[in-house]
Amino acid sequence: MDELPLYSERPEWVDVVPIPQYQDVDALAPINYSEEYQDATDYFRGIVKTEEMSPRVLQLTEHIIRLNPAHYSAWQYRYRTLIALESSLEDELRLMDAFAIEFLKTYQVWHHRRLLLTALRSVDAAAAELAFIARALEADTKNYHTWSYRQWLLAHFNDEDLLWSGERAWTENLLERDVRNNSAWHHRFFFVWGSGVRKGDEDREEILRRELTFTKEKIALAPNNPSAWNYLRGVLGHTGTPYASLSPFVKPYTATSVEKIDVVDLDNPVPSEGAELPCVMALEFLADTFEQEGGSQIPKAVETWKLLANEFDTMRKKYWEYRIKEALQASEP
Amino acid sequence: MTSSEVKQTYARSQRPTPVDGYPTSTSTLQTATENILLKQLLDSSRIPGDASPPSTTGPVLQRNQHLQFLLRNLLQGFPQRYVSQDASQPWLLFWTLQGFSVLGVGLDDKIKKRARETLLALQHPDGGFAGGPGQFSHLLPTYAAVCSLAIVGQPGQSGAWDAIDRRKMYDFFMSLKQPDGSFLVSHDAEVDVRGIYCLLAVATLLNILTPELLAGLPEFIVSCQTYEGGFGNASFPEWDFQEENDEVTRVPSAPRPVLGEAHGGYTFCAFASWVLLQPYIRSYYTPAGSANTNPTIDYRALLRWLANMQGTAIELGGFKGRTNKLVDGCYSWWVGGCFGLVEGLLGIHAAPPASTGVNENSASTTADTSAGGASDDGWHDADDALLNRRALQEYILYAGQHPAGGLRDKPPKPADSYHTLYCLAGLSAAQHRVTPDETRRAQLLERWNAGEARQWDVSGLQNLITDQQARADALRKDVFASTLSWLEDEGADEYIGGSGNRVNATQPLFNLTVTHTELMMAHFYGQKLPPRQAKTPPKSK
Repeated sequence: MDELPLYSERPEWVDVVPIPQYQDVDALAPINYSEEYQDATDYFRGIVKTEEMSPRVLQLTEHIIRLNPAHYSAWQYRYRTLIALESSLEDELRLMDAFAIEFLKTYQVWHHRRLLLTALRSVDAAAAELAFIARALEADTKNYHTWSYRQWLLAHFNDEDLLWSGERAWTENLLERDVRNNSAWHHRFFFVWGSGVRKGDEDREEILRRELTFTKEKIALAPNNPSAWNYLRGVLGHTGTPYASLSPFVKPYTATSVEKIDVVDLDNPVPSEGAELPCVMALEFLADTFEQEGGSQIPKAVETWKLLANEFDTMRKKYWEYRIKEALQASEP
Repeated sequence: MTSSEVKQTYARSQRPTPVDGYPTSTSTLQTATENILLKQLLDSSRIPGDASPPSTTGPVLQRNQHLQFLLRNLLQGFPQRYVSQDASQPWLLFWTLQGFSVLGVGLDDKIKKRARETLLALQHPDGGFAGGPGQFSHLLPTYAAVCSLAIVGQPGQSGAWDAIDRRKMYDFFMSLKQPDGSFLVSHDAEVDVRGIYCLLAVATLLNILTPELLAGLPEFIVSCQTYEGGFGNASFPEWDFQEENDEVTRVPSAPRPVLGEAHGGYTFCAFASWVLLQPYIRSYYTPAGSANTNPTIDYRALLRWLANMQGTAIELGGFKGRTNKLVDGCYSWWVGGCFGLVEGLLGIHAAPPASTGVNENSASTTADTSAGGASDDGWHDADDALLNRRALQEYILYAGQHPAGGLRDKPPKPADSYHTLYCLAGLSAAQHRVTPDETRRAQLLERWNAGEARQWDVSGLQNLITDQQARADALRKDVFASTLSWLEDEGADEYIGGSGNRVNATQPLFNLTVTHTELMMAHFYGQKLPPRQAKTPPKSK
């Protein structure tokens, strides 16, 4: 962009009285602004004071946002001006496409889109957003605001055929590229368990089987992946499934090395050849299984926690000791 | 264990995070970071190749460099790249001022006066504080400004405390309230638990908590807990709370899904909110067993998630903010500091079991809250914190300190104002234990002056019928006593590298010192504080 003259030098802004930031205050911890930024924000304070809402306000707020996308007041004032002027929200959305990629990490970029989509009330626009978000996540696969926005969008427009139906395949593709992407795992939980029942997913027992099969395969691929184990726990907790039902699967992951198994059990995939065993998360799962079973299994849980505390997960020694104390107290007659 | 066994265990635990022969972009980044951290450690005081635990001398907190860094920011200001913080000016002040507090350095009156004037210039005519003069009010800068004023303000003329327009602030808060109980962070802005925390912290400090302000908030917080145990940034309200023609219809069977995965910053904010809500839950929810059940969170899942955020030895025991993400110095506070809140609320360190100050109905369904005291099982230890306090201090001191002063995310990143405070606050959380003290609580309740406290009401509740007024009074009293019962357990402190590295204890609900919290709350609740007595030291082995 060519250097534009300062607002204070432009005749078309001569009617606005710029307001300096601090008056009669010798501010502590000041920011050393560029002249360009200081000038623009002086004029912003000026138009806020007179409550002007005009096309040049859109120009000014865009300018400030480009210099500092975290300037939430500029965003708010821009949104109100857009609505007041009945500006094209589609055009605004296209401008935002460029912004979002450039300023991926700011809250406001994504919230502004949300305001626009809410005002547009179009499922087709929402479907286009899903594609846009997918592109944005290419650049930053774990961007918190982007994921949060996608989840809001799905829930707000809530259209099975145009929105929800593609989520599983899309997320699986992301997990295929990086099975450790926790944001993708969380998203899977969101649309499979957190947000009602998807079309075709009405048989919940079947869905439970499907999810367990999927998760077990992913654990087999890279056993020391906390995202997959957390998802597994999430599914079991959500459906009230006892941990013990997973014991045949979990056992080989608690061994000290990969065991050669002659009979292939498709329901219980074994650790990959490169697996580094024992897997701490499998040991933890085993201990929690014993604890759930209670009674005479408690000492086994305690033994497993001691292994974690003293050998395999010493960083969390205090935590494992707490678990032991807690289990022993709970099992007292 | 013998010392050679300890050494062996330590060496083993410094192994890289397993990649299972299946590298992905997450594991590749993780491995690269581990190499950087390991190199950092070896370049520090240790002999290369010697993986033994740190020697008695250990790492040193570069106190003077950090003070110079803070002083430079305060007086000379921030370089141009901080323009990204132009809408967070009270945060720049808070990070700096509280940084001095944690380092135990008081400020002279001239600086305090300038700080007060700077902060008051951020108060919006319609209530609340903005990120900068002429900007709009927002919950986050409101927290940062009020906490900064707790440090530099005082009662009386030009002390700035009485210049906070509490009535308008209350109206500002109410104008942000949503049908599901949550709050927007600002007009036309988003809902998220950071804003909820900031609002609750400020309303607690300034004595403007009311039942109408808090309605629905406990359920909102509950809805933000994820399957992983930590909290996400908000939940989706529209299926549960449908707004038509200004009427809100509730469909309680509808799902209320959390948006965003479990995250350290949101988890701190959500859980600190939960602690601040306990007096309200105690007074305004009916006992379990009746139709109106108490909102509950899953404490066990939360503790598990918090514990799993601590990196292994090769990550120097720093904290990460999400599963399968990298350690970062700022989570020393957001996650490390959250341990203190959970341990305090559950009474995990309380010498005798029970009597924890937690709402027993809400806690007992998900966790055995009296798990604290028993010491006869051979597992009791003077340091029964659930995080690895020593390792966290190592991360901050080895990796968090920038050689030129200030603290940071991790090497080789530059220091910044935000990381400087949250590393220092995390160091404080790792060194000290601050928990609710029942004796103090009883003392504060006994000295309570309801009439004085009611004078500060801003909600019009003093005009209500007696029954409601009595409940509001009881809430105010419980809030005051519960909040100020958090005191340091003298004797439970622990320092890596010697007591020369000691920083001040931090009140974990606000990230202020206990003294600043007390002074501000005593003022806004119209109470005279009885002197503090040293807390009973915790049982040792």
